[in-house]
Amino acid sequence: MRTAKRKTALAAAAGACFAAAGFAGAQVFDPDYAVPRTPYGQPDLQGVWSNAVLTPLERPADLADKETLTEEEAAEYARQRREATNRDRRADDSQEDILDAYNDFWWDSGDNIVRTRRTSLIVEPRDGRVPNLTPAAQARLAELRVRRDPPEGPEDLSLGVRCLYFPHAGPPMLPGSYNNHYQLVQTEDFVLIVNEMGHETRIIPLDERAPIPAEIRQWRGSSRGRWDGDTLIVETTHRRADTPLRGSGENMRLIERFTRVDDDVLLYEFTVDDPESFERPWTVQSPSVRAEEQLYEFACHEGNRSLEAILAGARAAERGNE
Amino acid sequence: MKLRAFSLLALSIMLAGAPADAQNSTPRLATEIERTPDGKPKLDGIWQALEPANWDIRPHAARSGPLDALGASGAVPPGIGIVEGDEIPYQPWAFERQRENEARQLELDPEVKCFMPGVPRATYMPHPFQIFQTDQYVMIAYQYANAVRTIHLEDPGPAPTSFWMGWSVGRWEGDTLVVDVTDQKAETWFDRAGNFHSENMRVTERYTLLGPNHMLYEATIDDPEVFTRPWKISLPLYRRVEARAELLEFKCIPFAEEIMYGHLRKGATDDE
Repeated sequence: MRTAKRKTALAAAAGACFAAAGFAGAQVFDPDYAVPRTPYGQPDLQGVWSNAVLTPLERPADLADKETLTEEEAAEYARQRREATNRDRRADDSQEDILDAYNDFWWDSGDNIVRTRRTSLIVEPRDGRVPNLTPAAQARLAELRVRRDPPEGPEDLSLGVRCLYFPHAGPPMLPGSYNNHYQLVQTEDFVLIVNEMGHETRIIPLDERAPIPAEIRQWRGSSRGRWDGDTLIVETTHRRADTPLRGSGENMRLIERFTRVDDDVLLYEFTVDDPESFERPWTVQSPSVRAEEQLYEFACHEGNRSLEAILAGARAAERGNE
Repeated sequence: MKLRAFSLLALSIMLAGAPADAQNSTPRLATEIERTPDGKPKLDGIWQALEPANWDIRPHAARSGPLDALGASGAVPPGIGIVEGDEIPYQPWAFERQRENEARQLELDPEVKCFMPGVPRATYMPHPFQIFQTDQYVMIAYQYANAVRTIHLEDPGPAPTSFWMGWSVGRWEGDTLVVDVTDQKAETWFDRAGNFHSENMRVTERYTLLGPNHMLYEATIDDPEVFTRPWKISLPLYRRVEARAELLEFKCIPFAEEIMYGHLRKGATDDE
């Protein structure tokens, strides 16, 4: 069982390494760190990693001009974020209280903000916000089938509620509610990433094979990987049109980069290259921290009582209104 | 003379263009059993069973399927079976239960709902799977339902709970990977014919390369709650050698939603 104490201890241990490094732009990590090698001589990125972090994806409006915090500001900000993300708060409104659903024990919001003390995970553009959508993307999103509320069938519920696709696992991987763990395994010609959320399994060939045919579109797209020095670069295309990432389209090209910067830190970055949808590309930087635990099976669909309950509740409400 | 030279030139230009297509279509067979840096046979690659065991692991003639509307497309292909000794040694109560499962396949088979198939069924689903072997883990990713297993080569301790894909601990015995699978949910079946087990089943798998492109898969089923004795299945696995072989996405949840939740759709009548 993951306990709050254990998570804090691990994060504190990792954090101690970087407190000494001071802040100098991106030089929070030791530039002389020598990445261990796998038996095949490649940089070893393997392990169970966690993406949980307090820093939000986009810079909050009240920090609009602040790209980075000072050490003092960072400590206070982290404290505020912990409080804001604590699910054990009670809401005054009973509806909102019910919607908060899980109490804090279930939540994996992270214990720390990013070591660089940036105020957002988005590092490009400099304002830390997702770029504006193009008119074409706005029109396309308006045309996507509107989900009916109350839901008439499963198709009116979110992909996560249907256990089909989760923003944690993506790709790209983003910090989420819980199940932020992923396991990375390397063989000579493949990298395998198993995301605990939804047991989303990504197989990344390193053997320079041709892409799959354009007719095949997948929830997780199709990935191809290569080494660039000690960095694993993964390009993903062939995405379905109905899994937008903040408004992205089916021709999105996602470029992820994995670099081991310390024994316990895997620097994860991604760039969304989708000129049809966004006015400019955008890049996220989010360190993954080594987790002590193993991945457990997340049998989402097999145990999905809530989808049943949501639909049954909608039907009961209709009968009540008759 | 000139014409012949021109034809030869044209031909050689055509052939020069061929390698790109050839690269896309020429199968890639392994030529020898490779070994990992620590001397173990490399089980890595994409594998698939050919024996139609997912329909019925016992020997069986062809028969019609559960849905008349599919006609011959939905029929059960014949199979020589993968059960050693041909007979599954059910206890009398369990044999009755299996027959009931079989009669109610559409309602009870977890495959219809796109549930994870468990072990050993995942091995012989009509879908490829891929093995990733390191010195700490053997990972198996199955195309079917995005199912995945971690086979721990270092003792992970007892299972914290039961899992659809079980809890797997592996070790090498010579050139055979032996895997103990425990703590598997009782809801998984062995096949579409309703062959089943209890939550206390223990599966001992053996993966042995027979050659660079063939593997022998054996599994001993030990479940005294349901069977009168342990019993065993075995079948060969074939390397997928297509140049473009890779696991594609089979997220079958959308295909199962109507059958699972259709009765809760707006406008569905009470007697559906």
